[in-house]
Amino acid sequence: MTQLSRRDFLKVAGATFAGVLATRRPVPLKLANSTKPNIIIILWDAFSARHLSLHGYPRLTTPNIDAFAQSSTVFHNHYSGGNFTTTGTASMLTGMIPWKHRAINYGGLVRSEFVHNNPYTLLGSEYFRFAFSQNPWPDRLMGQYDKDVDRFLHPSAYSLMQQNPLIGMFEKDRALASIAVDDFLFPAQNNSIAGSSLIGYQNKSNVLNTAYNPKRIRYPKGAPEIMDPGYLIPYLNEDVYDGVYSELSRLDSEKSPYFAYFHLYSPHFPYRPRTDYRTLFRDDGYRPVVKPVHPMSAGLQDDFMRGQRDLYDRQIAQIDDEFGKLILQLNESGILENSYLIFTADHGELFERGFVGHGFHLMYESVLKIPLIIHAPGQTKREDVYSLTGNIDILPTILSMAGKKEVSDLDGRILPGFGGQMDEDRPIFSVVAVDNSAFGPIKKAVISMRKRNYKLITYLGYDNVEQTYELYDLESDPEELTNLASKDLTILSEMKNEFYENLDRANQPFVQ
Amino acid sequence: MIGSAQQRLTRLFSERLPDRKSVWGVYAVIVFLVYSWTLVTSFYKLPSWMFYLTIDQILSIYAYSFSLNLLESIFLLVGVLFLHFTIFLPLKNKDEFQARSILAVLIVLISSMLRLVLFQTYEDIDAFLSSELLWWAITLSVGILVAVLAPKNAWIKNILGGIAERAAVFFYIYLPLSFISIVVVIVRNIY
Repeated sequence: MTQLSRRDFLKVAGATFAGVLATRRPVPLKLANSTKPNIIIILWDAFSARHLSLHGYPRLTTPNIDAFAQSSTVFHNHYSGGNFTTTGTASMLTGMIPWKHRAINYGGLVRSEFVHNNPYTLLGSEYFRFAFSQNPWPDRLMGQYDKDVDRFLHPSAYSLMQQNPLIGMFEKDRALASIAVDDFLFPAQNNSIAGSSLIGYQNKSNVLNTAYNPKRIRYPKGAPEIMDPGYLIPYLNEDVYDGVYSELSRLDSEKSPYFAYFHLYSPHFPYRPRTDYRTLFRDDGYRPVVKPVHPMSAGLQDDFMRGQRDLYDRQIAQIDDEFGKLILQLNESGILENSYLIFTADHGELFERGFVGHGFHLMYESVLKIPLIIHAPGQTKREDVYSLTGNIDILPTILSMAGKKEVSDLDGRILPGFGGQMDEDRPIFSVVAVDNSAFGPIKKAVISMRKRNYKLITYLGYDNVEQTYELYDLESDPEELTNLASKDLTILSEMKNEFYENLDRANQPFVQ
Repeated sequence: MIGSAQQRLTRLFSERLPDRKSVWGVYAVIVFLVYSWTLVTSFYKLPSWMFYLTIDQILSIYAYSFSLNLLESIFLLVGVLFLHFTIFLPLKNKDEFQARSILAVLIVLISSMLRLVLFQTYEDIDAFLSSELLWWAITLSVGILVAVLAPKNAWIKNILGGIAERAAVFFYIYLPLSFISIVVVIVRNIY
């Protein structure tokens, strides 16, 4: 018998899955009975659109997502509001640019006057509202309005760790208790000394011993881990996706329509694909474009970055398999019939210019461009949207899906294809301002502005870069290799003017 | 017969039961160590908190911390008393309770703090795990030995007594703060 290679298996699985979706009933049964659709967001943390085979990545990393896209709307130029979790997720949940919502620091919070701008509060009790973020930072953001979340799982749900019982005591003050307990008193690792000398030590020892007990783990480099400051939670993607399905089955039995947000940690670093994926893409001949080392990068060697990229791609392939299984289950159980399924990411990941990861000061396409694929109830054909969109558009789109009225102070707009209009002149901003106070005007930040085929990157308040501005024509130079800032002065001037106009307006409330 | 057993038990405990002043002295040292550690480590976090948290949010973090510190300090005191009535029970000299307990607390807490400082990064995890058993075996052996032998020395005993006396001032700062903190934490978690 001929053995099926992994790649062939992925293709067959993807094709089967596409077939199943395409043969679905065009008119959903439950939609006819219920006036409101369910809305499900599945978000992968640190998933760059540039690594999707759907968007032309040379490796077949995501056959199941590609298949899912065949009966969904695919956004080809979708951008995150930031280059790390707090900023990116807060932009998506508030519908605001980071310079307005101000969750700009690692683990930061949304300004109190804008906390009400979130899908949970705005959808209201008409919807049953569910939240689960493996990453503790979005968990903290949603903890700012925990009263509006009907079911709120802890980041350690479906992991190999038990939830710290102390944390469960502070459900009504989730955001601040998380900073006090997880970040300060009981951090497991990550350059942070526990503020609690006795229980903090005991917690650290318990976490590390559980996380690194080799008997539990079938992974060559150990199980994947949630490892933001304070946390170190090992988990298996198989368990997590089983958990997602069981939660959705449970939600589907609710009498009211539901909104469910799953913020899933993989493929976030550390990249730890399962044993059966360890040889995938090995020696496949793919060589990424070598780019000059950025002065603000870690100066990593190309070989190391390639190795990390391989691991990342393998991890993506593994979770793509899990995603495929999940979609099949959802389809078979009829959950998708009355549900919008939004698949996206909070930010991307970089393997170039001497840097691996995200959340530093680099604002190139790989870390800002994220996938957005939306499957509408009864949709059987693929739609493609090429105009520029931002993840600030998700909230107004969700509200529109749920038939809610528009909220005036949002920066986002309803997405094209879901009631919104295409606007080719619209600028899309992404901000990293970790070195800037959340309470003052933006003076130290790196900000990207995408408009038409151009992208302007501005380094505000940093002396260690060669030029304050980088300008790229992404149509002719998608890899951002030729800085046009000193060559195309007219475009630079236009882009700069528009950028500073917007920045000055955003800074206005903070200028004394 | 029952009466004589009761008498023997009463005598056994009265010979070993430390006086209230000694217990408070030990607790004062525990409070000083536990709360001061939290305060000192918080100073490393404070600049970043000030970047994205308001003053009342920062004060609330301290409220959580002091509430936990109170719990931690009581745990430690219970632990010390437990040790006194178990492995140190054969040592009849209750006058040495204070010095012995302070030494035990100092050794365990400093050892724990040292490990927290030495193994902070992701790269230190292997070293943390591989050294843990030996580290604590040595700490506990040294701790017991020092706790048994050192209080025999009058000079050491006097010094430790002096520390306990001076640490008592922290009661008047930390304990009221803890009670206010508990109220703050409760209020934040009611509404």
